[in-house]
Amino acid sequence: MRKTILFVLVILALLMSACGGKTVEQGKVTLRLWTHTNNAFNAGYDALIAAYQAEHPNVTIQRESFDYELYLQTLQTAMPAGEEADILQLFGTWTSQYYERLAPVPESVMTLADAQKIFYAAPIGGYIVDGVLYGFPQEFNCEYGGVLVNKTKFEAAGLAFPPQWQTMDDVLADAQALSKKDDTGMQSVAGFHFTSADPISASFLAGIKQRGGDYWNADHTGFTFNTPEARAQLQWMVDAVGMGVVDPIVFNDSTNFVIDAFFQSKVGIGYIGTWAIAEGRVNFPDFTDEWDYVYLPPVQGDPVFVADSGWGLTVSPNSKHQDVAWDFVKFVTTVTANALKFNTASGTIPAMLEVAKSAEIAEVMPWVAKALDILPFGEYLGNMPDRDLVMYEIIYPRILEVLQGVKTVDETLLVIETEANSTFK
Amino acid sequence: MNLGRKREKRSKGGLAIAKSRFVRGVTIPLLLYESLGIFVLGWAFILMFFNYSSGRLGGPILGLGGSNPFVGLGNFIEMVKGTSVEAGLFRTSLKNTLIFAFAILPLNLVITLPLAYLLESIGERFKAFYRTIYFLPVLTSSVGVALIWMSMYDPQAGWINTIIRFFGGTPVSWLSDPRAGFMGVSVAMWAVILAYLWQDYGYNMVIFIAALQAIPQELKDAAMIDGATSWQVFTRIILSLIRPTILFVCVMTMLSSFQVFDIIQVMTNGDPGNQTQVLMLDIFKNAFRYQRLGWAAAESFVLFLIVMGVTIIQMRALRTDWEY
Repeated sequence: MRKTILFVLVILALLMSACGGKTVEQGKVTLRLWTHTNNAFNAGYDALIAAYQAEHPNVTIQRESFDYELYLQTLQTAMPAGEEADILQLFGTWTSQYYERLAPVPESVMTLADAQKIFYAAPIGGYIVDGVLYGFPQEFNCEYGGVLVNKTKFEAAGLAFPPQWQTMDDVLADAQALSKKDDTGMQSVAGFHFTSADPISASFLAGIKQRGGDYWNADHTGFTFNTPEARAQLQWMVDAVGMGVVDPIVFNDSTNFVIDAFFQSKVGIGYIGTWAIAEGRVNFPDFTDEWDYVYLPPVQGDPVFVADSGWGLTVSPNSKHQDVAWDFVKFVTTVTANALKFNTASGTIPAMLEVAKSAEIAEVMPWVAKALDILPFGEYLGNMPDRDLVMYEIIYPRILEVLQGVKTVDETLLVIETEANSTFK
Repeated sequence: MNLGRKREKRSKGGLAIAKSRFVRGVTIPLLLYESLGIFVLGWAFILMFFNYSSGRLGGPILGLGGSNPFVGLGNFIEMVKGTSVEAGLFRTSLKNTLIFAFAILPLNLVITLPLAYLLESIGERFKAFYRTIYFLPVLTSSVGVALIWMSMYDPQAGWINTIIRFFGGTPVSWLSDPRAGFMGVSVAMWAVILAYLWQDYGYNMVIFIAALQAIPQELKDAAMIDGATSWQVFTRIILSLIRPTILFVCVMTMLSSFQVFDIIQVMTNGDPGNQTQVLMLDIFKNAFRYQRLGWAAAESFVLFLIVMGVTIIQMRALRTDWEY
């Protein structure tokens, strides 16, 4: 019996020692960094970790990566247990959901006012909750306005390339010329595929803003989707479908997703964020059509839009070396040369103004230079109680139903408003 | 004589000690493992009475209370009466799960039982071959099966629509048209039911084959001598004798149908318009995408009650008091 108890104790001791992730021995500091698995992102992190460790030989940073879904689950189980890594890669909009479990940025690292000066408003907005800064963004996740354009199809249809669109009517006219149907009447090429989840949400919210409306009430305690501006924007989307530029039954998020469809030559103009460029190149190396990435004109007025922040770094309050962790985060995210390295490695739009405007970015990522005119118009989406629920379970499916002819514009706006406001309960 | 008894005693004592050590060695790890399971179940049971999200700090004891408030039966009341988006999704998911499970069970039985009977009646040479063919989909991963069927259902390049086009018909967007339906059930739901059936039917078929092989030939011969036709032998003799197997198959098929997840997540992720959103998918999304662990725990409990209820009903309806 004593042997059994001893065996159990040894096993428990081994388990406990295995759970301890950090080690401190004679001035040496080991920190853990958690990221989601994205080869391009992690290549950027690895280069910056090596640079930081070269400057700080007593610091070792261990990067651990998880597939996206697994990362969400790991955060949800590790954070309540206080077992999360010292440094956490988070998406900006997640900050408002996790801020109680994150360390605020110390003023000695950077003040909120200074951070708002060096970063675009949309990405830094995701890291601010109740006037407190909880981390720094690395990318400007811009889902609004950018489109993949198929040069080969434009030229085959006799359209000017690169497109010289002044208004959205010009876009729709080109899209009509690009659309094709097969013998049975099923759409085989979508002229303008804007019916995936992110493009529907991004264009709907941006359209409301550009028409002078807002989807937030005055004190940001509720949503106002049943408005004339929202109605006008949704009707515009319905009319675009009516013109035959896209069949939302055949082209949507689950069938013919915009990236897959574009790189299989089924789309003329594909509405999607810049992240699609790297993904398309990796996943469709045999795609032979010539293509480019350009920006759409606004539906009305200035190209005002909303963006849901972007990936960035935060620090755990459970870290025993928060000072070192913040020093690393500052090194990676706020030093211009390092931020530039990360953005070029990951192919993301920089969150820092100075980096976005740099000649290096213009050379390596020309689509960022094209976006410079619209990026300053980007506003942060706002801290929703549950951003994913509102975007992916309410706005996208409800609008898709209208576009597919299942519901009317009026009843859909009412449902969106009711359901979105129920997330505040 | 005494020496012999002593030896016997000693050897028995050694065996007893060895047995005792073995029992302790096996029982302690098992108890630890089971207690872990009980802890997880207990934690889920507690969570369903809270509006709990792992992102919030909550109260000092296990994060319960505070910003993760106690709601009592609030989650269950919301499921029944609520107007929130998650309540609506729960009711839709529950309806879809019932449609899925109650469509799968009869279709599965209608396919597997006659097929097993047919296979039992063919020559030994072909039996193993066909059994292997029919059982192969069971061994294939659900994700693989989902991808195969997705490519077949592709509205433009899938071979199902290619055949329809060949015969001059109108192609269908099998997985994404919310307007298309058959017998009051969406086409997308029928499409995933068909894919699931294809993957699953080999399992039940093998079980039925085993049951059919266990029926004594004399019983069938006696019935034939008494003038029974093949159909009568099948319905009056065979079906009656394999009732315990039918019960087992019904219970297992129902259990797995109520818990369907992976094939639907890959094929439709609940689309179009939540027409294929089932309870397990809804629980997964709430727990791991929207961090509503309290709500997800309450949904899991409802699913548990439904599965238990259906299983009890099946066991009562199909139980037998005899053996052969």
